[in-house]
Amino acid sequence: MSDPVFNSALAHVADHDGAKGLSIAMREISDRGMIDLRGEATSSKFKQAAKSVLGVDLPVKPRTSVSKGGITVFWLSVDQWLITCPRGDEAKLVANLTKALEGVHALAVNVSDMRAIIRLEGEHVREVLMKGSSIDFTLPEYKAGLVRRLVFAESAALAHIVSDKPDTVDIYVFRSYADYTWKWLAATAKPGATIGLFQKAG
Amino acid sequence: MSGRPYRLPESAAQGSRIDRSKTVSFSFDGKKLSGFAGDTIASAVMASGRKVFGRSFKYHRPRGVIGLGSEEMNALVAVGEGGRKEPNLRATQVELYNGLVATSQNRWPSLEFDVGIVNNYLSRLFPSGFYYKTFMWPRSFWESVYEPIIRNAAGLGEAAREHDPDAYEQMHVHVDVLVVGGGVAGIAAAEAAAASGKRVLLADENAVLGGVADISAGTIDGKAQGDWVKAKAAQFAKAGNVHVLTRTTVVGHYHHNYVLAAERVADHDPSLLDKGAPRHRLWKIRAAQVIVASGALERPIAFANNDRPGIMMASAARGMVERYATAPGMNGVIFTNNDDAYLTALKLHEAGVGVARIIDVRANATSELAEAARKAGLQVQTGAAIAGIETSGGGKEITGVKVAPYSKSRGRVVNEEKVACDFVAVSGGFNPVVHLWCHNAGKLKFDETIQSFRPDRHGDPIMVAGAANGTFDLGGCLEEGYAAGEAAAKAVGGKAGKLSKAAASGGAAGGVEAIWFAPATGKYNEGNKHFIDFQNDVTAADLELAQREGYESVEHTKRYTTLGMATDQGKTSNINGLGVISDATGRKIPEIGTTTFRPPYTPYSFGSIAGTKKGELFLPIRRTSIYDWHIARGATWEPVGQWRRAYCYPSGGENKKDAINREILAVRNKVGLLDASTLGKIEIKGPDAGKFLDLVYTNVFSSLKVGKCRYGLMMNEMGFLMDDGVTVRLGEDHFLMHTTSGGADRIAQWLEEWLQTEWTTLKVFVTPVTEQWAQFAIAGPKARKVLQKLDSDIDFSPEAFEFMSYREGKLAGYPVRVFRISFSGELSYEIATPSNFGRGLWDTLMEAGASEGIEPYGTEALHVLRAEKGFIVIGDETDGTVTPYDVNMGWAVSKKKDDFIGKRSLSQSFLASEGRKQLVGLETKDPNDVLPDGAYAVAEVKPQPPMKMIGQVTSSYWSPTLERSIAMALIEGGLSKMGETVSFPLEGGKVVEAKIVSPVFLDPEGKRQDV
Repeated sequence: MSDPVFNSALAHVADHDGAKGLSIAMREISDRGMIDLRGEATSSKFKQAAKSVLGVDLPVKPRTSVSKGGITVFWLSVDQWLITCPRGDEAKLVANLTKALEGVHALAVNVSDMRAIIRLEGEHVREVLMKGSSIDFTLPEYKAGLVRRLVFAESAALAHIVSDKPDTVDIYVFRSYADYTWKWLAATAKPGATIGLFQKAG
Repeated sequence: MSGRPYRLPESAAQGSRIDRSKTVSFSFDGKKLSGFAGDTIASAVMASGRKVFGRSFKYHRPRGVIGLGSEEMNALVAVGEGGRKEPNLRATQVELYNGLVATSQNRWPSLEFDVGIVNNYLSRLFPSGFYYKTFMWPRSFWESVYEPIIRNAAGLGEAAREHDPDAYEQMHVHVDVLVVGGGVAGIAAAEAAAASGKRVLLADENAVLGGVADISAGTIDGKAQGDWVKAKAAQFAKAGNVHVLTRTTVVGHYHHNYVLAAERVADHDPSLLDKGAPRHRLWKIRAAQVIVASGALERPIAFANNDRPGIMMASAARGMVERYATAPGMNGVIFTNNDDAYLTALKLHEAGVGVARIIDVRANATSELAEAARKAGLQVQTGAAIAGIETSGGGKEITGVKVAPYSKSRGRVVNEEKVACDFVAVSGGFNPVVHLWCHNAGKLKFDETIQSFRPDRHGDPIMVAGAANGTFDLGGCLEEGYAAGEAAAKAVGGKAGKLSKAAASGGAAGGVEAIWFAPATGKYNEGNKHFIDFQNDVTAADLELAQREGYESVEHTKRYTTLGMATDQGKTSNINGLGVISDATGRKIPEIGTTTFRPPYTPYSFGSIAGTKKGELFLPIRRTSIYDWHIARGATWEPVGQWRRAYCYPSGGENKKDAINREILAVRNKVGLLDASTLGKIEIKGPDAGKFLDLVYTNVFSSLKVGKCRYGLMMNEMGFLMDDGVTVRLGEDHFLMHTTSGGADRIAQWLEEWLQTEWTTLKVFVTPVTEQWAQFAIAGPKARKVLQKLDSDIDFSPEAFEFMSYREGKLAGYPVRVFRISFSGELSYEIATPSNFGRGLWDTLMEAGASEGIEPYGTEALHVLRAEKGFIVIGDETDGTVTPYDVNMGWAVSKKKDDFIGKRSLSQSFLASEGRKQLVGLETKDPNDVLPDGAYAVAEVKPQPPMKMIGQVTSSYWSPTLERSIAMALIEGGLSKMGETVSFPLEGGKVVEAKIVSPVFLDPEGKRQDV
């Protein structure tokens, strides 16, 4: 029997590895595994157990993330985190988490295929994002590491600012919306549609 | 039409906006014309010698250009062709480009000869309220006869009928200070606010900043105002905290300083579209502080036939000359009640345009400008007014004016003098543009000095500066602008920054004397119309009539006469209308008050409202991992929420009906494969998970064995069914709940809400995982055989893998969760694999099943299959008022549990009473009759309604398995009526009779699924 066939959410899009002719660089990231972790942030037992597997403290401040090695943990809510890791590691991580959390009220679920990730890079990323959401991506606190959920282009999404020099933002949307989000981004990131909002050196 | 060229010779004093080295060709009503780069349609067409731009709304009178910018209410044109045509654009605002195609509006068959002009001669038959008075009887004619005729005769431009090929978009922005209007006051405000380092957005509707600075009196820092504007624009272009939006009209101000602004990105240069620019961009602005510096608009004077082409605002006449070197005519008369119009007289005179006379209603005119005019040799006549207009060519060409002595309250005069001229420049004073101030309930006060309303109080963090505040002198505009900018910056926590304030010299505001009506000489009102609202053809006489007929409230007058309606929103007519009402009723203008100013300030395109959300981006379409396969297989779609699910797969010229029947029989006789990925999936875990499920479902789940599945019913607090599905026990404290496709998000939120707000002590986590899994139902007698062909660590034998149980493992190398459950009544497995493996596993299953005759089946086959088995669908058999007992599923309502959501409601008298509608099956007398969905059962068939309704069809299909129609229905007391016949009168008089039977039409013992 041959190996299972893997199709990422945007595999049907010809240039999903790198969209051409846009004011930003845009590509699908499909080599990340994802784990949804629920637990009580007030429980030191829970936090200790999670740290023992992940190697980092769970972020407890809203809209923050921590990264170490290949693992990044997003704060999603007071009792929910999204862990990303190299794809392939997630099953083992879930097993390890579940084991370490035995007897602790928690839930770790492999959700690697639940969302699609679209990486946006370049100086116009923030304004493209502001064409699809009412969030002010130009705020000074919107720097590398910030993660937040938002409605982007009619869809529930999550934004992670990977880097602010140069601007690199990962947009996470539920898998079924990926095609719509991709098309929206391609439509609003045309080279002739740039704005240059508050981007002068001044 | 004279055909004379009105373009003035090249000179530094005129034509500042045009580039004579660049000729631009365009067409107006099919006629090829040319202008210069920088021209507007208005300036270029007028330069060609043409004065008539359109026909008026009601009387179809010829109309020309009156204004200089967005206030233009007469010269409305359609620009573009086909899908790109946009009607009702102001010719004074549309910038010329090569190949522009403009057409005039509201004329038939042509602008020169218009049949509708007959309305003008019949105008005594069209008083205000004419439609209300005339088209009242008979009522049945309102929609079908009167409205189409009225709409056809009256009206503005026609919308494009074709698809608009251009892109539009929206943009959100958050700023500390928004400055509306880039005139002198707005520039000063933006500069002062920006000096604090705070973020400033400056929006202006024109192509360049400056407002009317370039055509106004006075200097700034010893320089021409235009030079100062250019320097500031350059400064803003470099500032990192200032963003300037030109060609952007702030159209509306809403709660919490939410502001909409419409940017015309590519209208002036369609080549930008090819580079991917949107044609329009709608800005959604959230501003901590708003500064309104929207300037002031000159108002007309109501004199007899003041709408003739060639009569325009004095500032517009001046602007035409200074900006575009376009003369409004050869020899003009200036008619004014204030000093500013003298500047127009002087500028026209300097440009070599004849000024026959300046007619000033005031008894004395002694300002500096008036003296300068006299010194220049211009004839000034004070205490006089225009009493009439002489025209040729059916009102299209002015030949002169009648001048009569005037003083306020003097009444009618009969002596008049004729002054020959070919145009008239009018100034009735200036009205602050208060629209934006008023959109969100800002208050106004009447200012006697300027004889107009200006801003008073406002509940929002919003300020006003310059002419918009009634401050018309240059120095005042600068000062107020700086002050507002500083105050706004301070209010948002800005520190005082470095700011060198400019000083103004000259440009003092002149005096003004109110004149709301200049009496005509001759027989009263004979052929004389004193227009107040040009766009809606409302005259002073209309307003007076409305007062006589008792429309005392100005809002009533507005609706009765249409004063201040439509695209113009009373920009020029508002105060004049109030003045006429004031004269007619003896009430002071502040007592009358204004009508409501509503957004938008000027119209903006539907395209910009839709933004990116059009075509394939109109709504998100959710795709399962099998989406492309469904398309390739020729699926037709069923929208389920935003999902697209395959409805059926017609092939080889089949119609949908045949395809559905084939798919059903494939499942019944062989094997079928269904993409059920959209089903809601929620992981539920915690020491209290079982207890929690017992609370949210009607039946018991805490007793479910690990590895087993159970069907559950979910009610809301009212005891009505809201969801159903199979829940699986994955581990001791770990469950997987399936919901309906439509309920996936709703039920996950419902569970979270109960945990967070009511049962906070329960230790349960709920994580929705719907999209993690692709899920397929493989159903039919050969289902097991197909699965057993594939390499797997799961034993699919009936002994090892019983009905209603669950296994996890590998299938053909794919990680899977397999649930042996059935919604078709056949041997059936639901197989879930991570979504990114979905397509691979689907292809593998299709391939493995090929030799068994596997066929994909869609949602319609799924529905028929379940209906043959009498299984309910939430939303078909239930409508939010149906209990488990109503659908005869009392067996799923636990009698043992202390509590669960909806339990108490089930015992309420109304829900427990006899005679409720109950779910039954129906067999039509003629097996070929398929009842329509929703058909009503009646107690007794009568020749016509009303008939007593006793129930309705909830699902109805042709069953290819049983070769007859089947249906389910909710019928009053249906369970006790087994075997009885009920009647369904249909549209067209046909009555279908059907026998009440059990809804389980096929295999009541359940043998087929348990093999």
